[in-house]
Amino acid sequence: MAKKLDKAEVKKALERKVVQTRQPVVPKTQLGFIHHNVDCIGCRACEIACKDKNNLPPGPRFRRVMYVEGGSFPDVYAYKVNMSCNHCADPACLPACPSGAIWKRADNGVVDIDSTLCIGCRRCEAACPYGAPQWDPKEQIIKKCNMCIDELEAGRKPYCVMACMMRVLDIGPIDALAAGTWKTTALGPDDKPVRQVKNMADPALTRPSIVFIPHSKGRVEGKS
Amino acid sequence: MNDSDKHAPDPLLNPQRRSFLRTAAAGGAVAAAGGLTGLTFGSKEAQAHAYEPYPTDDQLTTVVTSCDHNCGSRHMLVAHKKGDVIVRLSTDDGRYQAGGASGFETEQVPQLRACLRGRSYRSRIYSPERLLYPMLRVGERGEGKFKRVSWDEALDFIAKKMVELKAKYGPTAILDQAYAGTSYCVLHKSDQIEGLLARFLGMFGCRSNSWSVPSYQGTTFSSRITFGTIDDGNEDDAFAHSKLIIMWGWNPAYTFHGGNTFYYMRLAKQRGCKFVLVDPQYTDSAASYDAWWIPIKPGTDAAMLAAMAHHIFANRLQDQAFIDRFVQGMDAGTMPDWAKGQENFKDYILGTSDGVPKTPEWAERICGVKADDIKKLAQMYATVKPAALKASWAPGRAAYGEQYNRMAAALQAMTGNIGILGGSAEGVGKGWHAESVAYPYDEYANVWYASIKSDRWAHCVLNYPNVKREEVGLWPRTDKLDGVVPNIKAIWWHGSDWFNQLTNINKEIEAIKKLELVVCQDSTITPSGLWADVLLPIATHFERHGVALPWYKGHYYIHRPKAIAPLGESRADFQVFTELAYRLEKLDPALKDFGKRYNPRAGRGYFDDPDDVDEAYLAAWWKDKVQAHQGVTMSWEEFKHRGVYKFEFKEPLVAFREQIERGKPFQTPSGKIEVFSTTLAKVTDWTKTQWGYAIPAIPKWIEPFESLNHPLAKIYPFHMVTPHPRWRTHSIFHNIPWLRETFQQEITLNASDAKRLGIRTGDTVEVWNARGRIVLPAYVTERCMPGVVVVYEGAWMDRDAAGIDRAGNPDFLTLDEPSPAGAFAYNTILCNVKKTERAHKPGWDVQATARSHVFRRDY
Repeated sequence: MAKKLDKAEVKKALERKVVQTRQPVVPKTQLGFIHHNVDCIGCRACEIACKDKNNLPPGPRFRRVMYVEGGSFPDVYAYKVNMSCNHCADPACLPACPSGAIWKRADNGVVDIDSTLCIGCRRCEAACPYGAPQWDPKEQIIKKCNMCIDELEAGRKPYCVMACMMRVLDIGPIDALAAGTWKTTALGPDDKPVRQVKNMADPALTRPSIVFIPHSKGRVEGKS
Repeated sequence: MNDSDKHAPDPLLNPQRRSFLRTAAAGGAVAAAGGLTGLTFGSKEAQAHAYEPYPTDDQLTTVVTSCDHNCGSRHMLVAHKKGDVIVRLSTDDGRYQAGGASGFETEQVPQLRACLRGRSYRSRIYSPERLLYPMLRVGERGEGKFKRVSWDEALDFIAKKMVELKAKYGPTAILDQAYAGTSYCVLHKSDQIEGLLARFLGMFGCRSNSWSVPSYQGTTFSSRITFGTIDDGNEDDAFAHSKLIIMWGWNPAYTFHGGNTFYYMRLAKQRGCKFVLVDPQYTDSAASYDAWWIPIKPGTDAAMLAAMAHHIFANRLQDQAFIDRFVQGMDAGTMPDWAKGQENFKDYILGTSDGVPKTPEWAERICGVKADDIKKLAQMYATVKPAALKASWAPGRAAYGEQYNRMAAALQAMTGNIGILGGSAEGVGKGWHAESVAYPYDEYANVWYASIKSDRWAHCVLNYPNVKREEVGLWPRTDKLDGVVPNIKAIWWHGSDWFNQLTNINKEIEAIKKLELVVCQDSTITPSGLWADVLLPIATHFERHGVALPWYKGHYYIHRPKAIAPLGESRADFQVFTELAYRLEKLDPALKDFGKRYNPRAGRGYFDDPDDVDEAYLAAWWKDKVQAHQGVTMSWEEFKHRGVYKFEFKEPLVAFREQIERGKPFQTPSGKIEVFSTTLAKVTDWTKTQWGYAIPAIPKWIEPFESLNHPLAKIYPFHMVTPHPRWRTHSIFHNIPWLRETFQQEITLNASDAKRLGIRTGDTVEVWNARGRIVLPAYVTERCMPGVVVVYEGAWMDRDAAGIDRAGNPDFLTLDEPSPAGAFAYNTILCNVKKTERAHKPGWDVQATARSHVFRRDY
C-alpha cells in the first residue's frame, strides 16, 4: 500500500499541471452528441456501422452502447448510455499524448488523432475518463472516433447518427443541444437534456461535448 | 446492501482513473449562433484522415442494395465500393427515392435504416466461412471432411443420385427443407411455397414438402381459422396511432416486424400511448417504451387471456354491437344455426358449459400473475380506444400455441379493436403485399407428393414404415397418394440451416445417418452443411441481380444490382437449378425439355452468364406486375437508377378496414370472424386432417405437455424459452466477429435462482434435460422471472465427443412434438441448470478479446 496522499495537495498539483500544460483550442463551433437513454432500444446498429466505417477488427470499439439495469424482480428498470469520443472542450487525452498525434480541430472542436504519429504508448487510453481511445491489437496503435470527419466535411452527419434506427442519437452544436434549443429527433416533446448521468465521470473533468436525456434512475441529483 | 443496490450499475462509466480538474482558463465552447435549423458544415473535400489511405464515400462508387436474410423486415444497404471490392456499407439516408434528399424523412415515407445485422454484411460476404467451391464429402456424414470438386462433378453426382432415388423409392424420397435464408428476392427465393427448389423438385417429380413454419405455425393457424387469412396486419405506421399497446411476448427491439415498427411506437409513446409487456422477461422493448411489465409463466398465455375475457364478459365491457355484426360463436346469440347447442366461447369462459369459470383467480394459479393485475389489464384493454393487442408469435411457438393466438384474436374481436386505426388483429401481422415472384410461377410451383409437419421428419425417417399419418401430420390429398407416409431418403437444404434449427437435434443426428443423399446450397458453410454430402457455393445477393422485398410490413422495393462479381466459383441458386435441370433431362427421358421448362428465358449458357436473362425476368416483372397491378408509373430504368421505390399512402394501411367499414365478408367459411370455427367444428376424423389430433372449435386453455405446473418440473425445475436473438437472424450471422463481440450466446436466469445455484454472471453453466445437454455462460439478472431461463436460438452447434453442445444451441433440449395445429414446441421445455467446469465454445474461430469488455452489459 502506497502512502496516503493528501488530496488537497494532489488537487493543487493537478491544477498547476493542467494550467501549465496547455491552452485548449476554443473551436468556432463545438459539435457534440445527444443521446436519449430511455428511447434507445440498445440495438447497437451504431456500433456496427462504426466498426464497418472504420474497418475495425474485434477489440476496439469507438462507440459503446452501455446497458444499465437495476431494481429487484419484478420492479426493475433498464436504460442505455451511448458514448463514443465526447470530443471534450478540455480533452484529457491531448496533453497525455507524447507524440502529438492527438489534436483538436479549430472549426468544429473534433478531437482527432493522426494514427501515423501514434507510438502505441496507450497514455491517452489511461487518461480519458470515458474510455474513448481504443487499442487496436493488430496494429498496436490507438484509434478513436473522429466524428466521421470525412462525412462532416462532406456536409453529412456521422455514420453512427445516420445508423440510428430509433433516431435517438444525433449531433449538433453542443451548447444549443444542452439548452434544448437545437431541433433534433433525439429530443422528445417534454425532454430536457442533461450533461451528466449516473456513474459517468464528472463532466467538470474534461467538459465532454455530450448531453443525454436521462432515465429517471439515471438522473444525477442537482445536475442538469 | 439490498438486492436492488447489488444490481444497480457499477461505476462502469466512471472507471477509477486519475481525476482531471477543470481548467479555469478555458473559455468554454463558443455558443452556436442561434436560430440555426440545420447543421451547415459547408461541403468541402475531406483533408487529413486518421487512417491513410482512406477513401471517403464520395471517392467510392455508390450502389444501392439491401439486406436479404430471414427477419421480419428489409432494410436498405448502400455499398461503397472500389473496383470490385465493397469497402463499407451505409444505409438509407433519404436521398435515393424519387423526390428524396440527404436527410429527408417524413412519418409517411421513413428511411429504411438497417440494423446491426445488416450493417455487418460486409463481414459475411468476405467471411472465412464463405463457400467458394463445390465440395463433396469424403469422411463419414457429419464428420466435416470434404474435398473440392468441379461443378461438373458435383452436379452430375446429384443428378445421378436424384434419378436413382426417384426410381427406387418413388416420388416422396426427396424432402424439401428449403427455408427463408435467402428468400426475399423476386428472382432467387428459397421457400417452401414460392421457392426455386419447390418448383425444381416438383417438375422433377419427386418431392416431399415440409408444411409447418417454425416461426409462427400456431399463429398462422389462428389467423387462418379466425380471419380466413394471414393478412391480418396493419402497416407499421399504424402503431403510431394507438393509445394502448399490449406487447404480448413481443420484443420489437430484437425482432423487427416491419422496417420502422419500433420507431413508430416511439412516436406513439410521445403522443401519450401506454405500453404493457406480458412476458417472462423485462425486455429492452419494455425499457424503451416504459411498459408495465407483467411476468407470466411460459406456456400459460391462453389461460391469462381467457381470464381477461372473463373479466370483460362479467363486467359487460364487450363491444356487443361489434360482436353481433362481425363475429361467429362469441356467445349463444352469434352461433350459426347449424351449430346451435354446441359450446360457444362465452359459455366456455364463464364456465357455463364445463363448470369451470375462467376467472382471474383461476388463471392466477396457472399463470403466476396476480388476479388483480389480470383484471386491471382487461379493464384497460376494454376501455382504452384504440388499443393494439399485439399477440406475437413467440408464445405461439409452444404446445397448443395456436390456442393462445386464437384466444387473443377473440379478445381483439370482443373489444372491437379490429379494422380500426390504432387497433390490431395481429396475429401473423402480414401487412402490405408485394409482387413477389419474377420467375415462372405456374402449376409446378408447389407440387408435392407428401407433406409433413416440418419437425417430424426425423421421427418419420427413424420409424418408417411404422408411422401413422397423424404422427407426422400428413397433409390430405385427393388422389391415391393420400395417407401414404413418405419414404424419405434425401434432404435438400436451400437457404436453410434446419438441421441446426429444428427441434431435438440429437434425434435428427440419428435420422440423418439413414439418408442416401444430403445436399446443401448456401453462401457459407453452416452447421447443417457439415452434415451434407454435397456443398454447393451460392453467390450472395451482392453478387447477383434481383429486387428485394419487404415481407412482414413495409411498402417498397429495393433494387439489387450485381454489386460485385460472385466470389470464387459461386453461382446463384437459379443458375444451379437450371443447370441441374439440363443435366437431368439427359438422364431421364421422362423429363423432356426440363431445362427450358424450368427456366424459359434461359439457355444452357445461363450457368456462366445469367445477366441478360435476369434483366429480362426483372424488367418483365416490373412492367407486367408492379406497373400493371400496383399503379407504379416509374420506369424500370429509373427504378434501377434510383435503387428504391417507396409507396406512399394517404393513411396507414389497416387490416380488415373494408370488412368493418363496408361490410365486405371475411375470408372465412361464414364470412365472419370465426371465434367458433366452421372448419374445425365440421371435422369428423382428425387423423385424416393435416393436424392429426383434435382441436376444439373455440379457443380453449389446454395444459401444455411440459410446464412449471407439470410433475416433471420436480426433476427439471426450469422452464426454458428460446426467443430470436438480436445479433443473429436465427443462425445467420453467428459467425460474424463484430456481432459476437457485442453480444454473446448466454443463458439468462433470475438472480434468486442463480444465488441458490451459486451462479454468477460470466460463470459457465450446463443446461440439460432427457434430450440433450449444452454448455454456455450465464447472465444473471432481476429482469427474468424466477423459474424461467432464456437461451436464444440459432447458435451454431459444436458437439464434443460426448455429444454435449459447447456452443449452447437450445434445440438440443427442445422436443420434436408439435402442437396439433403444427406449432413448434420451441418454448415448451423443462430443463435443469448447474455450474460446470466444461468449456463453452462461442464460435468456430478464435477471436481477439475486446479490451472494452468492461463496457458490456455483464459488468
